[in-house]
Amino acid sequence: MNPNPLLSRRQALQQLACGFGYMAFAGLAAQAAARSTANPLFAKAGHLRPRAKRVIFLFMGGGVSHLDSFDYKPKLYEHDGKMMDFLDQRAIAKTGVGATGRVMKPMWDFKQRGQSGRWVSDLFPHMAELADDYCVVRSMHTEGVAHGPATLFLHTGSTNLIRPSMGSWVTYGLGSESENLPAFVSLSPTLANGGPRNYGSAFLPAVYQGTAIGRAGQKAIEAGLRNVRNPSLTAAEQQRQFELVRALNEEQLRAKPGDYELEAVANSYELAWRLQNHAPDALDLTKESAATLALYGIGEEPTDDYGRQCLQARRLAEAGVRYIQVNYSDNTNNPAWDQHSNLPKHKDHALRVDKPVAGLLQDLKARGLLEDTIVWWGSEFGRTPYAEKNGTGRDHNPTGFSVVLAGGGFKPGFAYGATDDFGHFAIENKVHMHDLHATILHQLGLDHEKLTFRHDGRDFRLTDVRGHVVNDLLV
Amino acid sequence: MTRHPTLLTLAGVLALSGGIARGADAADIEFFEKKIRPLLVERCYECHSAEPGKKIKGGLRLDHPEGWRMGGDSGPAIVAGNVEQSALIKAVRYTGLDFEAMPPKTQLPSEEVALLEEWVKRGAPSPEGPPAALAAKASGAADAKPKQVGLTIEEGKKFWAFVPPVKPVVPAAANNWPRTTIDRFVAAPWAAKGLKPAGDSDRAALLRRASFDLTGLPPTPEALEAFVRDARSTPEAFAVVVDAMLASPQFGERWGRHWLDVARFAESSGGGRTLMFKDAWRYRDYVVDAFNRDLPFDQFIREQLAGDLLPATTPDEKARQITATAFLALGPTNYEEQNKDALRMDIVDEQLDTLGKAFLGMTIGCARCHDHKFDPVPTRDYYALAGILRSTHTLHNYTDNVAKWVDTALPANPAVELELAAQEAKVAALEKQIARLRKSAGAPPAGQAVALAALPGVVLDDQQAKIVGGWSSSTTVKPYLGTGYLTDNNEDKGRRTVTFMPVIPQTGHYEVRFAYTPQPNRATNVPVTILHADGESTVVVNQRVAPPLAGHFVSLGQFRFEKDGAGYVLVSNEGTDGFVIVDALQILAADGRAEPPSVVVAGTATRPKKAAKKTQAEPADPADPAARKTAAELRGLEADLKKLIASGPKRAVAMSVREATGEIGDTEIRIRGIARNLGAKAPRGLLQVAAHGAPPQFSPGESGRRELADWIASAAHPLTARVIANRAWGWLMGAGLVRTVDNFGTTGERPSHPELLDHLAQQFVADGWSVKKLVRAIVLARTYQLAATPPADAARLDPDNRLFTHANRRRLEAEEIRDAMLAASGQLDFAIGGPNIVGPAAAAVSGEYGYVFTDTRRSLYTPAFRNRRLELFEVFDFADINASMGQRAATTVAPQALFLMNHPFVIEQAKLAAKRTLGSGAADDTARLERAYRVALGRVPTAKERALALQFVSGANGEGTGEAARADAWAQLHQSLFACVDFRFLE
Repeated sequence: MNPNPLLSRRQALQQLACGFGYMAFAGLAAQAAARSTANPLFAKAGHLRPRAKRVIFLFMGGGVSHLDSFDYKPKLYEHDGKMMDFLDQRAIAKTGVGATGRVMKPMWDFKQRGQSGRWVSDLFPHMAELADDYCVVRSMHTEGVAHGPATLFLHTGSTNLIRPSMGSWVTYGLGSESENLPAFVSLSPTLANGGPRNYGSAFLPAVYQGTAIGRAGQKAIEAGLRNVRNPSLTAAEQQRQFELVRALNEEQLRAKPGDYELEAVANSYELAWRLQNHAPDALDLTKESAATLALYGIGEEPTDDYGRQCLQARRLAEAGVRYIQVNYSDNTNNPAWDQHSNLPKHKDHALRVDKPVAGLLQDLKARGLLEDTIVWWGSEFGRTPYAEKNGTGRDHNPTGFSVVLAGGGFKPGFAYGATDDFGHFAIENKVHMHDLHATILHQLGLDHEKLTFRHDGRDFRLTDVRGHVVNDLLV
Repeated sequence: MTRHPTLLTLAGVLALSGGIARGADAADIEFFEKKIRPLLVERCYECHSAEPGKKIKGGLRLDHPEGWRMGGDSGPAIVAGNVEQSALIKAVRYTGLDFEAMPPKTQLPSEEVALLEEWVKRGAPSPEGPPAALAAKASGAADAKPKQVGLTIEEGKKFWAFVPPVKPVVPAAANNWPRTTIDRFVAAPWAAKGLKPAGDSDRAALLRRASFDLTGLPPTPEALEAFVRDARSTPEAFAVVVDAMLASPQFGERWGRHWLDVARFAESSGGGRTLMFKDAWRYRDYVVDAFNRDLPFDQFIREQLAGDLLPATTPDEKARQITATAFLALGPTNYEEQNKDALRMDIVDEQLDTLGKAFLGMTIGCARCHDHKFDPVPTRDYYALAGILRSTHTLHNYTDNVAKWVDTALPANPAVELELAAQEAKVAALEKQIARLRKSAGAPPAGQAVALAALPGVVLDDQQAKIVGGWSSSTTVKPYLGTGYLTDNNEDKGRRTVTFMPVIPQTGHYEVRFAYTPQPNRATNVPVTILHADGESTVVVNQRVAPPLAGHFVSLGQFRFEKDGAGYVLVSNEGTDGFVIVDALQILAADGRAEPPSVVVAGTATRPKKAAKKTQAEPADPADPAARKTAAELRGLEADLKKLIASGPKRAVAMSVREATGEIGDTEIRIRGIARNLGAKAPRGLLQVAAHGAPPQFSPGESGRRELADWIASAAHPLTARVIANRAWGWLMGAGLVRTVDNFGTTGERPSHPELLDHLAQQFVADGWSVKKLVRAIVLARTYQLAATPPADAARLDPDNRLFTHANRRRLEAEEIRDAMLAASGQLDFAIGGPNIVGPAAAAVSGEYGYVFTDTRRSLYTPAFRNRRLELFEVFDFADINASMGQRAATTVAPQALFLMNHPFVIEQAKLAAKRTLGSGAADDTARLERAYRVALGRVPTAKERALALQFVSGANGEGTGEAARADAWAQLHQSLFACVDFRFLE
């Protein structure tokens, strides 16, 4: 908060020349690590040799049914319609005892796919064709039986406490590779189920906060970086106004020499100007070829919207953005994939995301980007093997579900772990959400036990006091 | 971690019972060596054996008999001979669901589980002591005592913050620079360090600084002019304006805002399923009012922690005190958390975290799972405090699928109570009139049977439900809805159900209400189950009490139903303790988006709402003119009634907490912080390290919040007065004397001027805990009035300005930026207090998502949603209001520049400000420019600035001429003033 003579104007300029122009004067809260380099967002090495540089997380809000997609359970056909006792997690959370449910078989047929012979259902036909390109973890388990807690747990490692999101941790650990763009972007995030906390930096310096582009419910074609267009001035007029601000600031700085905080504010205009003129390109799809657009299903329904988001994610990845989250969600408390009473509706959502996701995987692969990009596709939890009373839907299941991981050194065409015969509990090679976090950090070159931040008198981690790297998943 | 004495006792008992092992025969030992030890080695030792340099997970060792007898953090692993009581068996069976992932990788094969069970059954025999090979490996770790990590209580009491303040000697003044006592403390160390103070600030800069600091607003050009020209000396003239500002209602708005940061004030819950805190504004107003009245701060503390328990002399005072307890209720609670035990402890934790930081500058939360690693706070102290808050209800109940906070009806003063009574009488009279008229019109009288169509939304009668078992129809107890009601005759419990099955044509949120006729013979525990899109919820209804809504209904809650989904509402008589009554079901669109559903039951569509209304008001014979007249009159009266209810006074409710009557008492230590992992009970109490006076006696009938509040709000408490004095200093001076304003613990910073801090704290208490006097003393010190330009050598000798030789330039906070722009444009609405969430969102449960911010009131009143912030707030470091925040972050980022250059709000305020400037009657552009500068920057332009600006507005190098172009140019100039560096900083 004070003029610091130890930092020259040159250094101050250097600090501002990087990243999205973020210059956190985090003051007392800042950690040595964040202070040690001139710019907290300056790209830095992690603890380990990295296998990947960035993450694209395709978030399927609401809970995709693993039992109808990636976790094939013949027993469900055999027992379809039978009433059986299950350790229902919602009932247990409330009462400590389980409940009876009606077993429900998958609604989409499973087939073995590709060279690897992995089982994938017809719910995701395009993704099914690429079964040799990704790894499926079938033994995921997590915390939180309801969307809010589980979604926050997925993003921050805590169901209820205020913690930084994973993208913020990664940015804190590795900095940014982009000159003109934020290091952590969330495309079309939801306001529900924790909303901004899911890309928030909590007690990490604000510089590591995720930048939302668009919001759930808004068409991707309308979304963009905020405030990069003046609604009333021509370019020439704004140039003239910008020159005035610059001249006034220079004059004001002259009266207070040596205050680098004031200089940083003045310099933020230089960066803003550059951003305004260049950053929107990263989201501009007009330069993409017709073939690329078609690959993502852009220009056709119902894939246009999610296709655009996925293609924007690729462009952001190319531009050096470190952590990109592509949200398939909405602003309700019962998000998109949450089919309690009407599972056939899964098909509507699958139709919107399947081709874009497959398109993204193919495109990344073709461009050599999949090598050092981790693509993570998944939900906050899975669904139950039994139907809700009188219904054709499945309830939440945090005790067993699947995620898909591609690129970034994850074994392709590989399936790991298992749930029980009904797909209810993960039982073999269990992977907790903390473990998944630890493993993804590991691939980025970060040791989840060393990536800490001192706050309120103790060191915090994304994985709290838990988490193991699942080496078996890695090439 | 120090083991709890009770646990040790238990372990001692087990060690005795472990005698079984000593008497173990050779066969048992062989069984152990052949079957069990290899299994333990293979499956368990990776985490549960002692090896130098390795952490023993969960504190549990399985490489030594003492290890499993004594157990780990969760207690003994094995109860010899008792399979079901042995935690180890529970864990390997995967049935102890509160053990996370144990064993972590894979469930043990069932034959191995069986072996372990047999071993436990046999009494867990083993040879004594660790086998030689293992013992060697374990040396060093095996007997290692738990390490003391933090300070002991006794050591802690010697740490500066826990040593009560002593009256410091006021340093002598070395020269005539110091003006007040504060100045003498501040100036004392300068000479030794070779430091000299900066010059005094110029008057314009001083007034702008003080104006923002005390009122959050820029000075008006007129006030600026007057102060600059005031013939009195600066100290004299300044004291006058300071007193005026302290007396203005804007002081409470500005300083209340500081406190709202500390209290993590918000108007929605945020995390998880966000809910609107529709009455949180009352707490905000309470805080503003407290600062304006200069409510003694100790009383302010007591009211926020225990207002509901304090004596009050007037209904207004009682209402204020209840409102104050929202402090405990405003957290970012995840009401949807399904594990309600965990939710309850999370809320307690959040409350302890907030009150610890807010009042004590301590991070108590660290001790939830283990003894505090740095500060002298053992886990036992944490749960001693937790017992107090667990004896308090923060939620309406702890069973709802989506929980809710506690609303308390506020008492009103006699005048308002009279108004309320008058209103209620008026409503009753109108209702009576309507009833009479309805009777004469041939409509069914109210109080007998009520036509379903008379009710809003869609109502299903019991006759339209699916009935299982022998229910009988009755009309005995009036009023009922439609054609009588169903009763289970208080027999055949568990075998009779009534199911309403609406077909929902449109996805949306609906309020579901259930009607019954109350009587003393009814059941108090009727389970009503709702299947909705979010799952199944069961609500228990007490049918002995009168239904609260419209005389018929009780709300079962708001639920989402999917179009064509399988929703139903099922009333059962299972386990009920009296007559179960089913009268009707009502479904109302809850979010204003979805229309009420047209409900189809058993293939029959009910009458649509509009048609239904008509049927109700229409006379028996529509051809009869007299009947038509009556119907018209009836419609008129019904409209009047609606209007009367809408416009008349309503009883206010406030977010609050209440005593957990029936559940008051000590609570158990939660091992590792896991809610259901219960250890020994910790007697309710306070932090030992900051104990003062006689330890309070906690009554079995009261939570202990009153004792907690008295302990904190005591002059003898080593922390409280220091913490608030330091906050006030920090808010005014740009940095606290302890710069970690929320952390006075060992990981926080030490005070730069310990004697000054103690002086401020003691003077504050001596002045009756008056915040206004404290603030006044600080701003009237010469220290506060220094210029911001560092004196020679200060940058080298004291780069952080910890010795306050000059003012710290302070950045305007988000609200100040917005308010200053609105003040410049003349749009600022000075209305004080009251609710400010407008439009349909006000009535919606999750109304924040689509909220459109339109008001131009002071930013203090901008709806404080946690998930949807005003964009300006997000951009200027006021995005996150989830946790107590003693000081705002101050970042410099490009999006701030982009916001000021391109956001329509800024452009609009600049246009309006330009209009005012051009219409101000100033003689020429130079005069206009001076006015513009005074408004935005609180000063006149320098010669260079004047030249730049005048050239800009004259369009010398721009395009276009004429009035419109001129107005545009001035608008752009104003916007540039909002954008420039000096606007955002206080000199």
